[in-house]
Amino acid sequence: MGLTRGEKAFSVLNYLFFTVLMIVMIYPFWYMIMGSLSDPIYVADGGFFLKPAGFSLSAYEAVLKNVSILTGFQVTFISTVGGTAIGTFLTATTAYAISKRRLRGRMFFAFLVLFTMLFNGGLVPSYLLIKELNMINTYWALILPAAIGAWNIFVMQSFFRGIPEELEEAAKMDGANDLTVFFRIVLPLSKAVLATIGLFIAVWYWNDFFSSVLYSTDKEMWQLQMVLKDLISNTSNAIAQAGISISYQSEVNEFTIKMASIIVSSVPILLVYPFLQKHFVKGAMIGSVKG
Amino acid sequence: MEASRETTAAVHSSSVASGRTLWKDLARDRYLYLLLLPGLFLILLFRYAPMYGIVIAFQDFNIFKGVKGSEWVGFDQFSRLFNSPDFYEILRNTVLISLYKLAASFSIPIILSLLLNELKHVLFKRVTQSIIYLPHFVSWVIFSGIIISFLNPVDGLFNMIASQFGGAKTDYLGSSAYFRSILVLSDIYKEVGWGTIIYLAAISGVNADLYEAARIDGANKGRQMWHVTLPAIRPVIIILVILSLANILEAGFQQVFLLYSPLVYDVGDIIDTYVYRVGIQEANYSYATAAGLFKSFVAMVLIVSVNKLVKMSGQDGLW
Repeated sequence: MGLTRGEKAFSVLNYLFFTVLMIVMIYPFWYMIMGSLSDPIYVADGGFFLKPAGFSLSAYEAVLKNVSILTGFQVTFISTVGGTAIGTFLTATTAYAISKRRLRGRMFFAFLVLFTMLFNGGLVPSYLLIKELNMINTYWALILPAAIGAWNIFVMQSFFRGIPEELEEAAKMDGANDLTVFFRIVLPLSKAVLATIGLFIAVWYWNDFFSSVLYSTDKEMWQLQMVLKDLISNTSNAIAQAGISISYQSEVNEFTIKMASIIVSSVPILLVYPFLQKHFVKGAMIGSVKG
Repeated sequence: MEASRETTAAVHSSSVASGRTLWKDLARDRYLYLLLLPGLFLILLFRYAPMYGIVIAFQDFNIFKGVKGSEWVGFDQFSRLFNSPDFYEILRNTVLISLYKLAASFSIPIILSLLLNELKHVLFKRVTQSIIYLPHFVSWVIFSGIIISFLNPVDGLFNMIASQFGGAKTDYLGSSAYFRSILVLSDIYKEVGWGTIIYLAAISGVNADLYEAARIDGANKGRQMWHVTLPAIRPVIIILVILSLANILEAGFQQVFLLYSPLVYDVGDIIDTYVYRVGIQEANYSYATAAGLFKSFVAMVLIVSVNKLVKMSGQDGLW
């Protein structure tokens, strides 16, 4: 290709740079996996790992026996599934209605949505509202407030705008109404954008802990990330929570349990990561070219 | 497509005017309104009802008396806020942390995406992309766990390395000298890949002929980036900068909340954490709502004015 010497040197350095960057990005995850597999006798509360120090699965045993983690999984699973279903569906219906230029009051409704991006009531009024609605310690509080957001609505609206009007007109000719057009024609054509928005929403719910901080006073309603937060920040809580007797403590230590809990809770995200990648980049592009 | 939309629009506008067509239009689009309704309800309930709740910032709100029974105090909560030394501390911390993050998140992803774009080996490029934005999807809870473990004052990775070189063991997270740097660096680490991907998506849309033309004109790699790539991704840069400027009072609530402690309130306490502590934990509802309103109000003024400035300079704004 006739590269100059300068270009060749640049290219070599560039590959080297990204190789180092990748190692730096991966190391924390490697560190956690190796830490969680280490034999508690050899690790204190950290250190440097390239491979497990000794080998033991005792931390994983302890995590899977931990009732709070299992409850957290359940709460997070239900809110993620519920939130993603409700959020994706209602984002689509709202966006579809707003995407129709013929709709009376469209500008007003679009402004109502846009304004929530510019201004919000803030933390305390939102908290008092949930309290007023008697939603404390319910799934409603973990699911509904975050279900739909302006940004997603506008991204989806701009996608719906791209669907040719002729399809709708032809279906209407055959006697279809707006509901049948939406469910039979528009939704099937929008699988890609629905998957993108759905994944965005699902990751948000999976990673959410602050809804529990605000709205779950009962530990039974703690999301998984909230359980993890408690475990990570409260030193010496990890062992107590796992319900391990003192005699057993020498075999399991706090550090390995923390690392194992983090790994276990990240598995679902890592499983969907390949799909995330495909759709998120697409979503990022839609988002950056604006709604 | 565009043409047919315009004809439909024309047909409608010619038949507007009388109230009868309004009812006709509403009846015709009844199913669209039906689709709109549930989403609109959620927005009104969870976004607009809290906006109404802001009235308690002008009250001495008592949770047992409710909004109707509580005493109105005008701007008393605000004067309490502006006269409190806390206010200047949290405002300074919020703006500083945010500006540091903005400077980093603005420049580094652009440079990385330009470099990443030069990788010609397809598989290597794809693997690099997948790995550098992995941390974006990891929750702040997990990330804070990693940071806490790495910076552990007794035997965390950083202290072990430092002691190898004869350094003293330090509680980095509990030290005001280090806290802000930890926030900024960990934020860069977590989000830089994601920012890079967004720019890369924009760069990949650039017409390859432009590079070829520049090359024939004798432009080297650096000049090609400067004269071809950067102008092409300018709209994306502008949009992202507007968004971050408008969010200057969002210093990263979750991150700070998970990492800070009373030891570093002087440098790490931001408006959001303050509102949470004072408002929810200490139940000073009215006072904290006033602090939150100050933040929302400034944010709104910022985003509207930045958008206006961008439009005045002839670029496309957010709306």
